[in-house]
Amino acid sequence: MEEAQNTVGQISGADIATAAKYLAAGFVMGIGAIGSAIGEGMVAAHALDGMARQPEMEGALLRTMVLGQAITESTGIYSLVVAIVLLFVV
Amino acid sequence: MLEHLGEKLILHVTLGNFSFSFDIITVIMSWIVIIVLVVIALILRRGLGQDIEEKPSRTQAVLESLMDLLKGQLTSSFSSDKLARELFPFVSTIFMFVLVSNWLSVIPYCESPTRDLNVTLSLALLVFVMSQLLAVRMRGGIKYLKGFLEPYPFMLPLNIVSEIAKPVSHSFRLFGNTFGGAILVTVVSAKFAPVVVPAALNAFYGLFVGAIQAFVFAILTVAYINIAVES
Repeated sequence: MEEAQNTVGQISGADIATAAKYLAAGFVMGIGAIGSAIGEGMVAAHALDGMARQPEMEGALLRTMVLGQAITESTGIYSLVVAIVLLFVV
Repeated sequence: MLEHLGEKLILHVTLGNFSFSFDIITVIMSWIVIIVLVVIALILRRGLGQDIEEKPSRTQAVLESLMDLLKGQLTSSFSSDKLARELFPFVSTIFMFVLVSNWLSVIPYCESPTRDLNVTLSLALLVFVMSQLLAVRMRGGIKYLKGFLEPYPFMLPLNIVSEIAKPVSHSFRLFGNTFGGAILVTVVSAKFAPVVVPAALNAFYGLFVGAIQAFVFAILTVAYINIAVES
């Protein structure tokens, strides 16, 4: 690593690997969050629809909503785990 | 502070041909969680078990309303009352273990044991084995095995993968949430705002997200057992 930093105008393979690692972690988190964000928003929107229509169902709807959001969130969590592995393990 | 992020204290034990590795902090913290739960239970047990005619003591009233809340939230999704009565202690124990271990992370120098994938994976495997055994017991071994061939026999690999994916997603969800929160708190307190913000963030991730995730973990336990028993 230190040798590669001292030479000017030369990019070693380790440099490319490090850059690719950080870039990939950013992309993983950014793109991976899109899906779970859209999904969780849809779950919340439809739960709110149901609550507005039938306020007496609020308790059951809230529980089901939290459960559905937790399941939808898991793809986002997978991308978080992949990003952590890229940053700290690879 | 950041250079120690992700470092672990590993104890390697070799017994003959086998070698085991323990994450010491995780083991100690898990035992602390267990001891905290047992001590709370022993303290709260005093004052219970009085006559029915007497006016209930304050502890008893609070405990009963808490248990009613937990029971109403957790067991209403079970498919049958018998299953709910049998499995409520199991599910609520898992809930309390995860809740206390998530909440312990707000104490300085305490690391939540759910920050370790081994803990969450073993909890999820416990639930997985439990649900499969219950499925065999409720539906019978042949019907259970036949369930893998539905709706068509060539779906067998897909069904097996979907069964294996359950404990994986179950454990990674809890692990990712606690570990991601811990990393965020550490990074913010080391790099951006070392004074007030980390405490608020720690309270948010430890108390609020921790409680939500413990509840989700317990609800998913109920859901997985339900799916395995019913389908």
